[in-house]
Order: sequence, then C-alpha cells, then structure tokens
Amino acid sequence: MSTVETPAASSNEAPPPSPLRRVASFAANQQFILFLVLVGVMVFFDFHNSRFFGTSEFTNLLVDFSEAVLIAGAEMYVISSGGIDLSVGSTIAVSTVVGAYAIQYLEGHHFGEFPSLLLGTFACAGVGAMVWVINALLITKARLVPFVATLVTLSMGEGLALVFSKGGTVGYDPAAAVWSSTGFWIFRWLTLMVLTVTVVLGLVLHFTRYGRYNFAIGSNPFAARAAGINVNRHVASVYVLSGVLAGLTGMIWYFNTSGGAPQNGIGNELEAIAAVVIGGVSLFGGSGRFTGIILGVAILTVVHDGLVFINIATTWNEVVVAGFIALAAVLQSMRPGTKRLM
Amino acid sequence: MESTPENNDLTSSKNRQSGPVGSGVDPSAPMLLSLRDITKSFGAVQALQHVDLDIPAGQVTALIGDNGAGKSTLIKTVSGIWAPTSGSMYWQGQEVHVHTPRDASHLGIATVYQDLALCDNLDIVQNMYLGREDTKAGMLDEISMELATTKTLKDLSVSTVKSVRQLVGSLSGGQRQAVAVARAVMRESQLVILDEPTAALGVSQTAQVLDLIKTLSSRGIAVLVISHNLNDVFTVADRIAVMYLGTLVSHGPIANYDRNSAVEMITTGKSDRVAALASSN
Ligand SMILES: Nc1ncnc2c1ncn2[C@@H]1O[C@H](COP(=O)(O)OP(=O)(O)OP(=O)(O)O)[C@@H](O)[C@H]1O
Ligand SMILES: [Mg+2]
Repeated sequence: MSTVETPAASSNEAPPPSPLRRVASFAANQQFILFLVLVGVMVFFDFHNSRFFGTSEFTNLLVDFSEAVLIAGAEMYVISSGGIDLSVGSTIAVSTVVGAYAIQYLEGHHFGEFPSLLLGTFACAGVGAMVWVINALLITKARLVPFVATLVTLSMGEGLALVFSKGGTVGYDPAAAVWSSTGFWIFRWLTLMVLTVTVVLGLVLHFTRYGRYNFAIGSNPFAARAAGINVNRHVASVYVLSGVLAGLTGMIWYFNTSGGAPQNGIGNELEAIAAVVIGGVSLFGGSGRFTGIILGVAILTVVHDGLVFINIATTWNEVVVAGFIALAAVLQSMRPGTKRLM
Repeated sequence: MESTPENNDLTSSKNRQSGPVGSGVDPSAPMLLSLRDITKSFGAVQALQHVDLDIPAGQVTALIGDNGAGKSTLIKTVSGIWAPTSGSMYWQGQEVHVHTPRDASHLGIATVYQDLALCDNLDIVQNMYLGREDTKAGMLDEISMELATTKTLKDLSVSTVKSVRQLVGSLSGGQRQAVAVARAVMRESQLVILDEPTAALGVSQTAQVLDLIKTLSSRGIAVLVISHNLNDVFTVADRIAVMYLGTLVSHGPIANYDRNSAVEMITTGKSDRVAALASSN
C-alpha cells in the first residue's frame, strides 16, 4: 500500500492506534500548541504586572473577546465553506449607526428602554441580513468570487456608515452603558449571551449536518453537489449567518460604547481572519476546528489588552499579531498532508 | 438471460406504444431506465446527439467508446449533474425529469464519477454518508455511521484501509476508488453507475471491483459501467452500448459482439460483424 500515513494532527476524531501515539499526536496538535501559547502569553503579562489576572481586567478581556468572537466565528463558517467575507467589519459600522438611530427614534417616541434596545438589536441584525442579500446575490447570481463581492460590500459599508452618521457618533445612550455593565462575577450579561451563541456556533459546525455540509462544500463543491447538497443555498445561508452575526456585533459595540460611531468595527475583518489563521483553519476551505478560532481570538485579545496593561504602546500590537500569524502559518504548513508546491 | 421486471404497474402498458421499447431484450419486460433522443451541447460542442439507450433491471450494461465520445457526459446527464439540452428519460416506463443529483438519488440511481467526487478533507465515514447523514436529535450520529461504514467495507472485502477515520485525501488511488464504490453500493440503489471504476486499480483490486459488479447484478441491481478495458467488459457485462463522437451507435446483448467487432465499433462507429452476429442470434 502506497498510502502516506497521516497522524491524527489533521484528523482529530481519528482514534490513534496506541496510547503513546495518542500523546504524541496530541502534542503535535495545533490546538494544543495554541493553548500553551495562550497560557504563556497570560503568564507573561501577569509576570509584568501582577494585576493582570485581577477580576476587573478579566471582565474587560471578556468584553473585548465578545466584540471579536462572533465575527471570527462567522469568518470560520465562511472560510471553511471555501469563501471569504471581507465585509464583516464595515457591517458592524453600518449596523451600529443604524441601530443607534433606531433606538434614538424609539426612545424619542416613548417606547420603553428595553423594547427600544431590543428593536434596535433587530435593526442591527436586519442591516447585517441586508448586507448578506447583496453578498449572496453578487456571489451566487453575478458569480463574483467572494473576495471581490465582499470587497464591494466592505467599501459600501464603510462609506454608508459615514454618510448615515454624518461622520459623528449617533446617539448617546447611558441606559445601554449601564445595562451592559451589569452581570455577575467576571461576566457581563452581554458577554454571557455572546459566549452562548459562540458555543452554539461551534456545536452546529462540528455536530450537525449543516456543519458537515459546510466543510464538504469547502473541500469539494462538485462532490457536495453530486451528493445531493444544495450548494448555492448553503453558501447563501453562510453569508446570511455572517451578516447577522456582524450586525449583532454592531449592537454589542453600541452597548459597550453607548452610541453608534461609524468607525466601530472598521478593519475588524482582518482581526477575524487573523484569528481564523492563528486557529489553524485552512484558508483553502474544508477543514478547521472551531476551538482553534476561539483560542485565536483569545490570544489576540489577551495580546492586545496585555500590551496596554504593561504600558507598551498599542502601536506594537500589529507587529506582535503579525508574529503570531506567521507562527500559525508555519505550524500549519508543517502539518503532514499539506499540499506543497516544492 | 433472465431479466427481473420489478414493476407491474399501470404505466408500463400505457407507455409501451409511445414509450421505450428494448432492443434485443424481452420486450414484455419493462426497462428500468430508458433514454430517448437525448441531446446535450456545451455551447458549440455537441457532446451527445440523439442518444437512445435501454437499461434493463438486474443486468450489467457496459458503456464503451473512445476518449471524448461522450460517455461521462451521458452518465452525468442521467445522474442530474446537468440537464439534457433535449430528450426524455423514462424510469420503469414512466417519464421522469432529473434536474439535480438529489432527484436521481431519489429514483434509486447511485453514481461513481470518473473523478470520484470525494471530499479530500473529510474522512471515509463522512464521505460515505455525505448528503444522507444519520442523525440523533439533530446531532450527527457518528457512532452508527462509523459502524455501518466499517461493515460495508468489510462486506466488500476492502481490507487495505487502516482506519475509517482516515482522511480521504490521504488514501491511495485504489482505496479512494473502493470508498467511492462502497458509497454508491451502500445506498440501496436500483441502478449503480460506475465511470471507469477500475482505471486506477491494480490486478487484485480490479478483480474485486468486477466481483462486486457481479454481486450487485445478482442482487437484482442494474449496473451501468464505463470501461476502456475490453477484458473487464467481456468478463462482467450482459449488454454492451457503444458511443462514437456523441452518438450511441450500437447496443445489444453481449452475444452480438466479440472483441474485434467491439474495437471496430469504438474506433470507426460501425461494424459489419455486429450486424451479422445480431441477425444470426
Ligand atoms: N463541462 C463541459 N464543458 C464543455 N465541454 C465538455 C464538458 N464536459 C465534456 N465536454 C466535452 O464533451 C465531449 C465528451 O466528453 P466526455 O467527458 O463525456 O467523454 P468520455 O467519453 O467520458 O471520455 P473519456 O473516455 O476520456 O473519459 C468532449 O468533447 C468534451 O470536451
Ligand atoms: Mg469519461
């Protein structure tokens, strides 16, 4: 048999034959390395400033994490289905502005605080869904490659956010800020909601048909179609998911900054894609673990906040992130079974 | 040669005058699948022209022809990968329209494509069940799928794969072939279509696939197999259909052909010997 042996690094579910190999393959597992990196980074920051593990800093970490994790999750779905979504960041900006207007209007018309915020959230999700409609039409009907289609919506979103908001922050909503800072222990309610959605996203991706089809389409769309999967419908649905999650993230920004600023979320698509790459997800589609992107987002968040915490200029952030991306990419290319040109 | 007519429904008698009539087969037995006047063009390229073909239940039909003759195009049309430009298709005597692979699989057609159509990033179990996963309360039932896959591979005596959780991308050509065939077989289909199933295989694996084809037909399942290997064709086929430049130039029982006439048909599109053999039978 001329088959090349593939250790379980690339097929996590495969039961390795011996306990020894199990340990070896676990250590070679990118998830495990990422976990060590995360712990290492946290220990590093704590070493420099022992208040880093303090409760309030942890709360902030989780807030920042929750601003990033949904769009990273969305990006994971899109990328593992063989696409890419550059428009998530600007969708946050448009939806946060539109949501802010909606809430301002509703509160001005004596809707209660809670209904206003709830309807504002729907407005944000709705904006995300509209971005999806455009993305889905451009990709499945106009047959643009996802990169170009979402580049169109990226620019459009950035522009519209500025046009709608006339360049300034829309609304000032102390009620939202008060509500968003409540919670229990290190968690805010909003953070808990985001974490719940994140867990559901992970479960759906790895334990349901929908998730299986996502990987199948990313791996070989022809085979997926031959197996009876409605590829166009699935791809469209992935962009819906991405749009809605970006819209909801817009609402999270609204709560956390108590207003709708047109620069909210701008550029965050790169952070999301970076988290996906660091998490070991193949940009060619068809593979990856959701836990990887959670670790990726966690590492990026800890690095970002930690640099601030130990008084290193935030301008270094991008440089450090670049280092992590490079490390992750090297780890991935060393993985057995990766196709190489040379 | 016995054929196993599987239906005795009303439609077959109604359609007999207008619909398909088999050539060289017991005309009272309704055909499992009949194609009439199927044409398929890709822009200016006429890949299929006025193809008529009958596939009886429980028999092995070999589809032969030179490279580019249109064999793969024909089976992709039958399997719903693309719609024919014109023509009609009858399933058990009744006209059907197959627009998607799902339609074909609902009828009971399972196809192994020449390029195998497997997902390299998924493992064997995930590929075997793609599009028809077992679920329990909405969640994938990995254990039952894994057990059934192991059993199917064992039934087909595919013993070379180490683990059913191996990624398909890491398998050898023959193993991939085995997975693709097993996938089609597992679907309890009435017609299994195989596009060059032995092309990438070694001697013993070829023999295994040929045995498998015989097993299928003995279970009453019709097989349409494309092959360039006339040894294989004359080993397993009950019937032969020859394509030449997009047209189906000849089809009938294997007794109407011999090796030389088959080669002649493939290369020139006609053969006096086939006509002679057919009239003498
Ligand atoms: N998707 C397509 N678009 C355009 N032309 C096509 C397409 N698929 C097939 N053809 C053309 O149709 C003709 C028949 O091709 P087909 O693949 O059916 O041949 P084949 O008999 O299966 O050959 P082989 O033995 O090499 O597999 C060829 O001329 C081919 O170029
Ligand atoms: Mg072919």
